[in-house]
Amino acid sequence: MKKQKDWLFLLPAILVVAVMTQIPFILTIIYSTLKWNLSRPDLGITFNGLKNYLYYLKIDDFQNIPEFYSIFWQTIVLTVSTLIICSVVGFLFSILLDHAVPGINIARTLIMGPFFVMSTASGVIWKTTILNTTFGWYGVIFKSLGLKPIDLLSYRPLAVIILLFSWQWIPFFVLIILAGLQGIPQDVEDSVKVDGANWFRKTFEIKLPMISEHMMVAVMLGLIFIVKEIGLILVTTAGGPGTRSYNLPYAVYMEIFNGSQVGRAGALATMTVIITLISVNILYRIIRKRKAMYE
Amino acid sequence: MSNMTLEQKHRLKRKIKTAMLTIVIFGIAIFYFSPILYMFLSAFKTEHQAVMPMLFFQPTLETIKLVLSDRNMFGYLKNSLFQVFFTTLVCLLLAIPASFALVFGKFRKKTTGESAYLWFITTILLPPVAVIIPLYTWYQKFNLIKSPLGLLIAYIGFHVPIVVWMLHSFFKDVPVSIIEASELDGCSRFRQLVSIALPLVRTGVISAGLLVAIFVWNEFFLAFNLTGNDTATLSVYMARFREQQGMFVAQLSASSMVAVLPAVILGWITQKSLVKGLTLGSVKG
Repeated sequence: MKKQKDWLFLLPAILVVAVMTQIPFILTIIYSTLKWNLSRPDLGITFNGLKNYLYYLKIDDFQNIPEFYSIFWQTIVLTVSTLIICSVVGFLFSILLDHAVPGINIARTLIMGPFFVMSTASGVIWKTTILNTTFGWYGVIFKSLGLKPIDLLSYRPLAVIILLFSWQWIPFFVLIILAGLQGIPQDVEDSVKVDGANWFRKTFEIKLPMISEHMMVAVMLGLIFIVKEIGLILVTTAGGPGTRSYNLPYAVYMEIFNGSQVGRAGALATMTVIITLISVNILYRIIRKRKAMYE
Repeated sequence: MSNMTLEQKHRLKRKIKTAMLTIVIFGIAIFYFSPILYMFLSAFKTEHQAVMPMLFFQPTLETIKLVLSDRNMFGYLKNSLFQVFFTTLVCLLLAIPASFALVFGKFRKKTTGESAYLWFITTILLPPVAVIIPLYTWYQKFNLIKSPLGLLIAYIGFHVPIVVWMLHSFFKDVPVSIIEASELDGCSRFRQLVSIALPLVRTGVISAGLLVAIFVWNEFFLAFNLTGNDTATLSVYMARFREQQGMFVAQLSASSMVAVLPAVILGWITQKSLVKGLTLGSVKG
């Protein structure tokens, strides 16, 4: 009797998730094979085969490589640099915050702050009160030093976005890595002390391997969340100048809301999902391999 | 100095080291937090005071009052609260029984629980761009952007997998023997869940709920695309400040403060359970 009823617990959740995520995703894949222009209903919707994909991928001559490739490259640069910065700085911050100095909880709380701030708010705050060349701290400090502040948002858009992404996600890495550090048993610390290992060895050769699992989890979750972030890009550089600070999700957004090309946007979205899943998969395999090595 | 014992010298050295470390840690922490800190400060400035960067000024509540008396702002705040409250509630109602069944349920095929769990995990990986095109066209067609329910169901669909993922590892910590014993006593599945398992995974439920609340409060992409003027949330509202090149800094800061403070406070209060939920969910599972 009971055996039949257990799936009833599962069904509502599966239904809601399927209707809101799986079915629309399948539709996206179907749309990606259609020629469908929202702003020209008179043209109707026709089957277009793989032409939408070829529009992005086909290289006719090497003087004129489709924009897709540069956007793809930017996405990699954005994500990988952010993840590296987050891991390194996150680890160093965690080592620092692992000390029992007076008021350490306040310090931890302050470092945690940026993670809980909505990306659109942190974007506009950085843009207006810090990065602005006339009214922001950056501009004012540079001018008082006799330097000419360049407009970072137009000249170094990717670097700015990497900086802001990192500022937001380092706390998340600290959250997880610090939990790992605090889980290191006291007798390990004690035996290190007896061995007389110096700080550098203690930190990088003993503690780092012990929290590698936490680090990997942080990188994995970070990848999943960072790769889909567009709010920050929209409010800071709006993808510009040109498409220099687009990432793939932002390109999808622009294609549908400015281009009204449902089919093309569908193709781009499908490719974005495939690329995301492949990179998560690769990372997961690396983690599993490393884990097997340690065990 | 000279008649200090070695013991005292040692202790002094350690004290100095701790003091230095404290200064370094707090220096970094305050610097790291300073953009938010400066935003909070600027919220207490007048527009005139906020034009150029400065730290010392006569604080005033004028701008905050102005922002809070804005009917639009109030509407966005209400919309955000609505989405956070109902998404969290419904997500928990759907995900608690689901993750309980994933761990303890018996299905015709033994692997059903495992594969359903993996399916939930993979949907976490799905970026919102994968679904936004059909959702956007449906929402336009059926006028769902005019109703807060439209965004709500999208949020529920996207956050249930996260709750399932977190709760799954908490339920796994519940000893199977307790559940089996209660089964022999003739306890129904529902009773097992409500009166035996649920109290044991309370921390998990709380931290999953909080994580969803913070995510939804801050979510931008879906809210931006699936809402109209009357249904937009605070994160969409904040994005509207992007065009103002250094203008209305005080107003921007005061609005940001309203938009940011709830999530930051919630996050701070719940750090410990968040850590527990995330690490248990990820390192173990």
